[in-house]
Amino acid sequence: MLTYEGVDFYDIESQLSEDEIMVRDMVRDWVDEEVIPNIEEACREGHFPEEWGQALGEMGVLGMTIDEKYGCAGMSYVAYGLVCQELERGDSGLRSFASVQGSLAMFPISAFGSEEQKMHYLPKMASGEWVGCFGLTEPDYGSNPGDMITRAVEDGDDFVLNGAKMWITNGTVADVAIVWAKLDGVIRGFIVEKNDAGFSAPEMTGKHSLKASVTSELVFQDCRIPKNRILPDVKGLKGPFSCLNNARYGISWGAIGSAQACFHSAKEYTLSRIQFKHPIASYQLVQNKLAWMLREITKGQLLALHLGRKKDDGSWIPEQISLAKMNNVDMALEIARMARDMHGANGILDEYPIMRHMANLESVKTYEGTHDIHNLILGRWITGIQAFTRDL
Amino acid sequence: MMPNIAVLVKRVPDTNAQILVSGDRVDLSNVKWVMSPYDEYALEAAMMHKEAQGGVVTAITLGAPECDKVLKDAKAIGVDRIIRVWDDSWSELDSNQTQMALTSAVKEISAEVVYCGKSAADTGAGSTGPGVAERLDWASASNIIGLEFEDSGIEVIVPAASGNARTGISLPAVVSCDKGFCKPRKPNVKGIMMAKRAQVEVLAAEIPASGINIVSHTPPPQKAPGQTFDGATNVPAVVAALRNDANVI
Repeated sequence: MLTYEGVDFYDIESQLSEDEIMVRDMVRDWVDEEVIPNIEEACREGHFPEEWGQALGEMGVLGMTIDEKYGCAGMSYVAYGLVCQELERGDSGLRSFASVQGSLAMFPISAFGSEEQKMHYLPKMASGEWVGCFGLTEPDYGSNPGDMITRAVEDGDDFVLNGAKMWITNGTVADVAIVWAKLDGVIRGFIVEKNDAGFSAPEMTGKHSLKASVTSELVFQDCRIPKNRILPDVKGLKGPFSCLNNARYGISWGAIGSAQACFHSAKEYTLSRIQFKHPIASYQLVQNKLAWMLREITKGQLLALHLGRKKDDGSWIPEQISLAKMNNVDMALEIARMARDMHGANGILDEYPIMRHMANLESVKTYEGTHDIHNLILGRWITGIQAFTRDL
Repeated sequence: MMPNIAVLVKRVPDTNAQILVSGDRVDLSNVKWVMSPYDEYALEAAMMHKEAQGGVVTAITLGAPECDKVLKDAKAIGVDRIIRVWDDSWSELDSNQTQMALTSAVKEISAEVVYCGKSAADTGAGSTGPGVAERLDWASASNIIGLEFEDSGIEVIVPAASGNARTGISLPAVVSCDKGFCKPRKPNVKGIMMAKRAQVEVLAAEIPASGINIVSHTPPPQKAPGQTFDGATNVPAVVAALRNDANVI
């Protein structure tokens, strides 16, 4: 079998450092050897293989941008992006696991936690021993988390949480949940552990998307946690939005991986599929589609790389992340749909990765800020006028 | 006693790379480069040796600065030191010169055991391990398919005339490794960060003049095109070809 080399029309590799390439290749090889041969079975069975989480920990990619002092690697955001790209070339559910663990669960502890919290949680989360999840979205509050219902109240030496979260990746399997709840009307972050009294995390079933990923509800019924489990250094929506910025950044790279997988499959299929005596790749309509895919992937790569360098030098603004997440997921979803068309009837089979990526990307388009919400974020940046809400 | 362990690693074209011959020379300008696959087993053997008996593992390669990458790969796996043997006046070295240069480096670091791949994926010569052992006047075990560590030395399993032979070897020794006796470990992000910071030590060596002159390179002959048979009426012809020409039935 030929080694997978990725789509690199504009020689992106020349812009990467040696260690970034080494990290990418490490994850690329692992995805080729362990994930791609097993992903369809995991999807059919609807489970996330536990050993994949452990392998991510062993490779050291969980929370890999966080300081080495806490058992992490202190690597660049570009390296993290490349990891997301390779993981999502395998499956969006796999990338989601890494995104949630690193960007949504470990990042808030590292950015807003006390030193004791960092030392207690981060090394075990980096190694994959403890799985984390992130509870922000509620059944009635998705794009509008500011109106969340979940509440925390002080009671002696404890906080008591009540409320429910929904669409929580890793919830059922998590050892540690970062939960956003209102304390005296202000959004605060709390660390809830799986055995805390009054906390449960039933799995949501029946998904046609992200089937190799655990999605859960988090239920807090007089859930009592000690006071030292509040994240001391952040108040308001800034907390969860900081996490989402990191996760959205990773998604902007991850989507490129899905798009590359679909492009690769479409190219191989159309070169080998004979109709009217010739490979269908020899026909102009098919070449037009392949050329469009290459064009969009290349633009997405340049966008993600430039954003990554800005993340690393600190010159980024959140709106740039919105644009990259929105654009790259959008192009990846369109490429998946187009690839399905190019595979003909074969495109619906799990012999090819197409339909799985397509169904996954429908979720990715919606989570971590919907496509439309990112348009509104950009609309506000352009006009100075917020269009999220108004009095009617 | 904590052993001083050396492992020889070589940068070769990816085994999936398409090798082109341009004029009368192989053109390697556009190939992807990797650590020679058998050297990955040697590297694993060296790491296993360190885990069993302690000591220090030094990865050594021979080549120009672009060969640093295989040393960084070895560092990411966990070796302690990385050394490249080279002199800017050198170009392509023959086997004799290569073995002399590597022997010099092994002596320089006072290694007591040297692991290497049984052959390199590019030349396939298989001469480096035994050649270095000869120059060091050390024991030599070639093509090992099993390895255990003893207080007095190592025990290796090597293919024998019939079956395999288990052989005890006192150190110092040079051991060339076949695949199959271990699964080479993969790097992780922390190892890669260590590799990023690691300095490659560059050593010079005295080597003799070469008596070898490569006249030209030629690509292997093209494989003959296959035959295509259409339709059921050709079944007898296919059977005849398989029986008489291919001798497979």
